[in-house]
Amino acid sequence: MKKHLVTLLSAFLAASALAGCGSSSADTTPAASTEPETTVETAAEPADAAAYENCTLKFDWWGGDSRHEATLAAIAAFEEAYPGITIETNYGAWSDWETAKAAEYISGNNPDVQQTNFDWIGKYDKGGNTYLDLNTVSDVLDLSQWSATELETCSDENGGIAGLPVSITGRTFYWDKTTFDAAGIDTPKTLEDLLAAGPVFQEKLGDNYYPLVIGEYDRAILMAFYLQAKTGKPILAEDNTLTVTEADLQEGFEFIKSLEDAHAIPTEQYILGEGADSMDKSSRFINGEYAGIFEWDSSPKKYLSALEGTGNELVVGNVFPELQSYQKVSLMFSISAKTAHPKEAALFLNFLLNEKDGIEIMGTERGVPSSKVAFSTLDSEGAIDWATSEAHNAVLDSNPIYWNPLFDNSALKGDSPALYTDLFDQYSYGMITSEQAAAQLYAGYQSVLASN
Amino acid sequence: MKKKTKWESFWKENIGFVFVIPWLIGFLVFKAYPFLSSLYYSFTDYNLFSGISKFTFDNYVNVFKNPAEIKSLTTTFKYAFMTVPLKLVFALFIAYILNFKIRGVNLFRTAYYIPSILGGSVAIAVLWKALFNDDGLIRMFFANFGIDAPHFLSDPSWALFMICLLRVWQFGSAMVIFLAALKGVPQDLYEAASIDGAGKWKQFFSITIPLISPVIFYNLVTQLVQAFQEFNGPYIITKGGPLGSTTLMSLLIYNNAFTAYQMGKASAQAWVLFIILMFFTILAFWSQNHWVYYADDDGR
Repeated sequence: MKKHLVTLLSAFLAASALAGCGSSSADTTPAASTEPETTVETAAEPADAAAYENCTLKFDWWGGDSRHEATLAAIAAFEEAYPGITIETNYGAWSDWETAKAAEYISGNNPDVQQTNFDWIGKYDKGGNTYLDLNTVSDVLDLSQWSATELETCSDENGGIAGLPVSITGRTFYWDKTTFDAAGIDTPKTLEDLLAAGPVFQEKLGDNYYPLVIGEYDRAILMAFYLQAKTGKPILAEDNTLTVTEADLQEGFEFIKSLEDAHAIPTEQYILGEGADSMDKSSRFINGEYAGIFEWDSSPKKYLSALEGTGNELVVGNVFPELQSYQKVSLMFSISAKTAHPKEAALFLNFLLNEKDGIEIMGTERGVPSSKVAFSTLDSEGAIDWATSEAHNAVLDSNPIYWNPLFDNSALKGDSPALYTDLFDQYSYGMITSEQAAAQLYAGYQSVLASN
Repeated sequence: MKKKTKWESFWKENIGFVFVIPWLIGFLVFKAYPFLSSLYYSFTDYNLFSGISKFTFDNYVNVFKNPAEIKSLTTTFKYAFMTVPLKLVFALFIAYILNFKIRGVNLFRTAYYIPSILGGSVAIAVLWKALFNDDGLIRMFFANFGIDAPHFLSDPSWALFMICLLRVWQFGSAMVIFLAALKGVPQDLYEAASIDGAGKWKQFFSITIPLISPVIFYNLVTQLVQAFQEFNGPYIITKGGPLGSTTLMSLLIYNNAFTAYQMGKASAQAWVLFIILMFFTILAFWSQNHWVYYADDDGR
């Protein structure tokens, strides 16, 4: 009796374990009857979507609450459209997100589908073994919605497509028009306007009012824009060479200092003194003391939310003609090379990025979509919010050039010890000269380029 | 009577080890292995993603050569040697006062202990930041009197002191231990000293201090270890800034390991910190022969 019981229990446990593995081809469920409607412009209908396996896919992403809500709603719609495929989610804020993901890559526990950063290809996909080459699932994932250049940008070292660019992003200025009105001047259109606005703010509104606020990393980008306008080339070229000299960098640091001296931006000590975790949480920004920010075109929503109820109006500005902007992939979706269900994962991505229901629910939560069909769908429905749309156009109007992901290398960007933070802080505090700062940054760029 | 088999005897004699096995596994997997592997990695250029390409002593040399690492080491020393004495003196002082029979003494004891209950939490570090930042309550308070108070958290010459102050404020645990020790000092010694004409100060330094010296020693060692390992305060309040003025070694190790993924470098820094801590702990144990009074061991 006891022996029979043990056998029965063992069989039960084995069956449970196998069931946990997910799918079997016997469970194949035709999805044709539940396929979502597609629009005429949707060339995204996957050719072989009718047959898929029942399975559970793990999916994770970072972002704010509104992004979480939209993504969860899109997942629910996908599960309804593709019964039998279940999506297990994991999501959170960006803070420390990459550290957790890095540990997953080391242990090989990264989920089936993932929101990824562009520079993660270089960091975590050496050898091209981390992310699935999306060419291998092009029968269900419509890659024709992206240009060849966009797909090439996201390729790994073997030439495979490591991720799909969800949106392309660049930086522009956003102005608190209410504060500028109070100062009696127009929002800046040129660098000259910005420099002129500083003394007016100081005189009319007080020492604690600044036309623009930029942190260490913002300063590095603004300096790159300034130098790129001088050379006409990306500061770090596509062939991993540095296009500026030490003297150019010194001039760049002095340009940033000139903004501080003109009261156009606060010093680093003044910014750090508030201790705000990010600018959308800064009370000085919320109450209008900081009347401008230099931000990605994909993120105006959080600043608009921060100003809600204050009566302050945020407007989108142009990229100054004295600057040469760049554009980069804001974030991607990737499939793990280790996934047991590449086809189903691709179906899921296709739903989020190329199918009408997914497109409409996801909206512009991850910026203006790069997928042609997603853009035309949202554009025709007027679903791209005005701020994101204006900011995106401002970036496009500035004729952005190539951006090298090494610009964001961890030796340069991030918490100290990282060069952008350390050097812009030290320079702003008056601890080092522009010459010393330039020499150190030049050596830092050379070192990063040499080691990659 | 049935004679025990060899197996039964062996089982009876060694049953204790079976109960120890869960702890032993935990120790080996979560303590010994990381401990020893970090020693190995400290002699390599181990990067979390690109792996090990060479064996080197550079990581150790750089701790004493690289300006950022020297600064972090110096900052850690400053932090420890400011925090530990201040905290011990303050805890002893308050414990001494609370040892008197005064009205509502239990209320005061509870009140002084509360910061220690809250102290290690992230919330308190956030509160500290809100109090001492440039737009915070403390500066606003001074501004009401027309005083332009220092920029506590953005001025490199103040920031470290503010982080120290947070730890010193959490003196409750040390105070409770001191209080228990003070209660154990025999009253007749004080009476005899009074009859002999000894004043309060004389009694404090000649009776109280020697008799509670084992507890002072205990608090010294534990506070020293805590101080060298401090992480929460600087991480949450200043992120190691401004200008690296609050980048303690533990924060530098974290940044190197988990933001720059330089595990070899971080391991070497962790070992240097461990050796320093070990040195001071040994020094403290050695010094106790000269100042700690143990009543059950010939007074030493």
